Amino acid sequence: MALAELVQYVATGLLVGGVYALMSIGLALIFGVMRVVNFAQGDFMMLGMYLTYFYAISGSIDPLLGALLTIPPFFVLGWIVHRGLLARVTGGGDPQRQMDAQLVLTLGLSLVITNATTMILTPTPLGIRTGYATQAFALGPVLLNQARSYAFAMALVLAAAVYVFLTRTDLGKALRASADDPEAASYQGIDVRAMHGLAFGIGIALVAAAGGLLATYYPIEPTVAGNFIVLMFVAVVLGGLGSIPGAFVGGLVIGLVQSLTLLVLPFQLQNTGVFIVFLLVLYLRPQGLFGRRARTV
Amino acid sequence: MRPLSRTLIVVLALALVAPALFIRPAPAAEDVKIALVAPLSGRWARQGQLKKMGAEMAIEEINSQGGIRALGGAKIVLREGDAGDSVEKAVSAAQRLLTREKISAGIGSWLSSFTLGVTEVAERLQVPWLSLSYADSITERGFKYTFQTSPVSSLQAEQALELVTDVARRNNRPIKKAAIVGDNTAATVFFFKPLREKLLAAKGIELVVDEVWTPPLADATAIVQKLRSTQPDIMFYGGTNFPDSIQVLQKIKEFGVKTPIQGVGAWLVTPEYVKTVGKELLDNIQTVVAAHPLKGQEDLVKKFVQRTGEPFMTQDPLCTYAHVWLIKEAIEQAKSADPKAIRDALAKIDLSSGPATSAFYPARVKFDERGRRVGAAPLIVQWQGGEPFTVVPAAVATRPLAWH
Repeated sequence: MALAELVQYVATGLLVGGVYALMSIGLALIFGVMRVVNFAQGDFMMLGMYLTYFYAISGSIDPLLGALLTIPPFFVLGWIVHRGLLARVTGGGDPQRQMDAQLVLTLGLSLVITNATTMILTPTPLGIRTGYATQAFALGPVLLNQARSYAFAMALVLAAAVYVFLTRTDLGKALRASADDPEAASYQGIDVRAMHGLAFGIGIALVAAAGGLLATYYPIEPTVAGNFIVLMFVAVVLGGLGSIPGAFVGGLVIGLVQSLTLLVLPFQLQNTGVFIVFLLVLYLRPQGLFGRRARTV
Repeated sequence: MRPLSRTLIVVLALALVAPALFIRPAPAAEDVKIALVAPLSGRWARQGQLKKMGAEMAIEEINSQGGIRALGGAKIVLREGDAGDSVEKAVSAAQRLLTREKISAGIGSWLSSFTLGVTEVAERLQVPWLSLSYADSITERGFKYTFQTSPVSSLQAEQALELVTDVARRNNRPIKKAAIVGDNTAATVFFFKPLREKLLAAKGIELVVDEVWTPPLADATAIVQKLRSTQPDIMFYGGTNFPDSIQVLQKIKEFGVKTPIQGVGAWLVTPEYVKTVGKELLDNIQTVVAAHPLKGQEDLVKKFVQRTGEPFMTQDPLCTYAHVWLIKEAIEQAKSADPKAIRDALAKIDLSSGPATSAFYPARVKFDERGRRVGAAPLIVQWQGGEPFTVVPAAVATRPLAWH
């Protein structure tokens, strides 16, 4: 195999993985701080895609900018969903029961969002036509899709911003403290419930932004979440449950493995490679690539 | 207000409203119920929606023209079942629908894989079932209640290959190398199989790319890169899942691949393609379908467009429209709404005019002992200026074929 072809596979894999990475860190943040497995994460991504579409249609806003503009409303939406629904089933009480309740809640939320969107916005797929979706940057013989390259760059910037927020600001530290030990954090005067709302808001906003970036080259339909949700969970577990850098690397690894699998396996088995790597990681390093035994963000 | 009493009020309010949500107006005693099991949610929901539009248009026409004469003007009512996005869901929807009330006949379920499952239920419960699905296996199981109006996949493959090699030769660009690109859903599999196993070799065509994926497709780069490096003269294409297909087409443009595309199925000629990738990218892409508006059907199409707001009519509403009319004709002949009697009428039916034959080419409905429509032949539809037109056979074409 020519070196250029190998480079093309690696580059394609990383570009695809970039958006998986951004999708996954929101999920990891929510799990890391709240211990909530959010099955509706992909559906919020889908809503982010629709909002980006409406920005593009009604305000002629470029979807790359539109993706950023999804962040404030989805942060608020996340906050409201947490206050109105999730806060009622998390915090206090029997930990096992709590787990059951939130699983059913987020799964139910996912079904409601998908079906309500199908009813209200119809199942007809929509698409934002951008010039860069069908153009490539040529690096010698290697072609990098422009839409995916921009999406990748923005995913990196957003992930870095989240990382800086968590590690360098007081609010970020309070968030991590709530994740590490909610009880001790509350003794220090941290409002853990508010921190959970914050984490959920940020988690939802990030996945909505990832949806916006995805919408630059991927059609929008109410069921689009189904194409990504399993990969998001794999990325989060692969990286170490709840670890933000872990989820980011997990997302990249999935993209890369999907692409490189094609060198040895037929297309139909593309995701087999992903799950083989996933099982290997779980076997050799059960806490995930970046996981610690203690809770971490 | 105390929380308990507030909860109580909410519960009471729900209890008052709930029945209205679940109870549908009961049909008059003599109504004939027909089932439509199609994907109304999930990734193929759009196709189900299109089928429903066709069914509703036919039912409205029939009922407004006095219903079923043989049953004293009985009206037809539609019962929908959501096939969702998996065979299991399709099967359970059919099961629920056919056991809950008396259904005279059924239609569905778009994707061949779904139809294979749903027709098993219909066979067991002895309800005649009409399908537009292509897979050969649908009518290879010796079922008595399954009727397939479309030409089967393998036949479509044969005829599509005949056509493209002929056109290419006449345009002095003979086909020497071919590519097969698509997903592994049933109709696509049955279309590709004969090409791969015998048809291409028989014409001396070399198969240079053979890439089949399981939806959803993560990225199309690897496929299109192979197309770019091997430069086939034709690409046989079956990407039934819309996002997958869009990714392939976008990548083809990005990589500057000029290979002519011959698709399999009506999924490639839906309006959303124009909105998502633009008409320039679609121009000259052609696909083999079981039905598409033909010359002389302008009024039908116009009516559909006015009714639904869709920009044009395609196979899915067209076939479902004809299926409803066909069931109506069968009931007229059987003079009964009993499923078994309707099955027998369908097995004997021989129509060559009227709305029941409108969607089909050639316009004759007669089924052989397997339940396949006798003489069913595929059409070729081609994108031209943002709209798909029937281009082959020439006798019923609405536009001449443009070759690349």
